[in-house]
Amino acid sequence: MTDTQISRVRMTGISKRYGALQSLDNASLNLMPGEVLGLVGDNGAGKSTISKVLSGAVIPDSGTIEIDGRPVSFTSPAEARAARIEMVYQDLALCDTIDVAGNLFLGREPKRHIAGVPMLDKKLMHERARDMLSNLGIVIPDTWMKVENLSGGQRQSIAIGRAASFDPSVLIMDEPTAALAVAEVEAVLELIRTVSRRGVSVILITHRLQDLFLVCDRIQVMYEGRNVAERRIEDTNIEDVVNLIVGRKFAARSAGHQASHNQAGHTQERGASA
Amino acid sequence: MSSEPNAYSSHPPRMRETTMLDKVIANGGVMSIALFFVVCCFFFAVTTDAFLTAPNLLNIIRQSAPLLIVAAAMTFVITTGGIDLSVGSVLALTATLSAAALQAGIPWPLAIILMLALGGVVGLIQGYFIAYEKIPAFIVTLAGLSVIRGFALLITGGYSIPIEPTSPFVTIGRAWVLGIPAPALIAIVVLLAAYVVFNETHFGRYVTGVGANAEATRRAGVNTRRVILWVYILSGTAAAAAGVILSARLGSGSSNAGQGFELDVIAAVVLGGTSLFGGRGSLVGTILGALTVAVLANGLILSHLSPFFTPIVTGFIILVAIWLNFRLFKGGAKGR
Ligand SMILES: Nc1ncnc2c1ncn2[C@@H]1O[C@H](COP(=O)(O)OP(=O)(O)OP(=O)(O)O)[C@@H](O)[C@H]1O
Ligand SMILES: [Mg+2]
Repeated sequence: MTDTQISRVRMTGISKRYGALQSLDNASLNLMPGEVLGLVGDNGAGKSTISKVLSGAVIPDSGTIEIDGRPVSFTSPAEARAARIEMVYQDLALCDTIDVAGNLFLGREPKRHIAGVPMLDKKLMHERARDMLSNLGIVIPDTWMKVENLSGGQRQSIAIGRAASFDPSVLIMDEPTAALAVAEVEAVLELIRTVSRRGVSVILITHRLQDLFLVCDRIQVMYEGRNVAERRIEDTNIEDVVNLIVGRKFAARSAGHQASHNQAGHTQERGASA
Repeated sequence: MSSEPNAYSSHPPRMRETTMLDKVIANGGVMSIALFFVVCCFFFAVTTDAFLTAPNLLNIIRQSAPLLIVAAAMTFVITTGGIDLSVGSVLALTATLSAAALQAGIPWPLAIILMLALGGVVGLIQGYFIAYEKIPAFIVTLAGLSVIRGFALLITGGYSIPIEPTSPFVTIGRAWVLGIPAPALIAIVVLLAAYVVFNETHFGRYVTGVGANAEATRRAGVNTRRVILWVYILSGTAAAAAGVILSARLGSGSSNAGQGFELDVIAAVVLGGTSLFGGRGSLVGTILGALTVAVLANGLILSHLSPFFTPIVTGFIILVAIWLNFRLFKGGAKGR
């Protein structure tokens, strides 16, 4: 990750207005190949919006996006998918009445031709869905189950599995661990480490600040639609990040609490990941 | 979860074998209408002599062909979470125009193609407003219902236009092929095609996806607006086919044909367990629903009851079937 390398993603001057609300105001984002970027900020800071811009789900009012040095302008999520940008949406974006395999393959279902007519290859879809899930260690009893019958954490795992399984070059995770149990959170963090070692760039949005220090190379802080700060992970600590998020010295008990929590896990993790 | 705390180690599947009961409950919508259908048939078979005879049963299928065809298309529309109220009017318009076209000397195969194209274009226009201009389907097709019926009335001046009985056109409605009425044969082909498209193709999958979570389907890279546009093209074309079959069978095109037809179609689809909220549809259910509506109408006439009983009984059956659906099977209804 030297400065001579071309950025995987370079977003500059991104603005997006919803009615009276300026959701993104000249925001930017830079991501190197294999880098893990932690994106943090208050509720409503614009984290989801800027990642949706990158995934093609939201079209910005202005701004430029470059992928591997080439300017792009996504007019639909299909185009971002074609550029191998995958996203775990905060609302998961699952279809409740479709089965697990169908959700994993939504929009890119394998085809087979019967008398020249393209049809869904359900058998292949379910086989590959089982493989995908077991590769990620996700425990779903049956790929034929409708997603509405799964638990919140299982649903989240499906959304993560979908984004991670199609060889992304950029993986965006918007609060991927919000509904997950302890072991599953660990699994997601491990997944992030694994894919970033393979050269996948990752954007992780989370309010669990201690997680950032376990996997991120860099942290970017947003506030009211703007970038306000950026820190390399080794140059900061959890208290610093909390202050950057709220925009002032913040002496709330929870912050101190989190910080002390982190100190313990932090040193340990540094050693482990080195 | 299992007792193994680490999600990354491999687990044996934790699922028990799917039981019969699971399947019945999962297909609650279809099950309750199948039950109703059997009960209705049994009831009329016992109470009337004429019901369970081959000619009568074939007659039921022949008469219900337009309903079956349009209900198949309507299943797609309703599964996307939409509705098409204009099908009765499109049926009337194409019935009158096909009679008029034949009168004007247009060869019958061309007349049929023109009618189907007209239905498709009507669907395209309505679908455009629904999919691309985001106007609720209910409003667009309610306007369509009025406008299209108006055109049919305007063209005929309210009279019906006769079709030459010697024209090969009428065979579409009256001929028998291999002992089966031609309209029934057309309906069977349409239903089979609809079943395959709905359950086995990408388009069918995206129809369900749009109804379940349109935004999620869009984010998965699917052109959801085009999917929505297409379901209205389908329903318009199906309604046109129904108009052609009806005018061929009756030997005339009447601008008053198909009054309330849209309600029968919607009743058939909803009876079959397709959810008006979208995302859940069943073509098998729709077929059973349409046949139930048809059997009721036929059976009540054979019972020498006043035909005015039909709407009353149909209405009650819809209510009870859907109540069963919600309570007993907990299918069809919204899951969460
Ligand atoms: N589709 C939309 N329509 C109107 N306003 C929107 C829309 N999407 C986002 N916003 C607004 O834009 C702002 C930024 O939203 P965004 O979802 O990006 O925040 P966030 O940083 O992801 O917050 P959180 O941590 O709560 O997820 C919010 O104030 C939100 O109300
Ligand atoms: Mg968000």
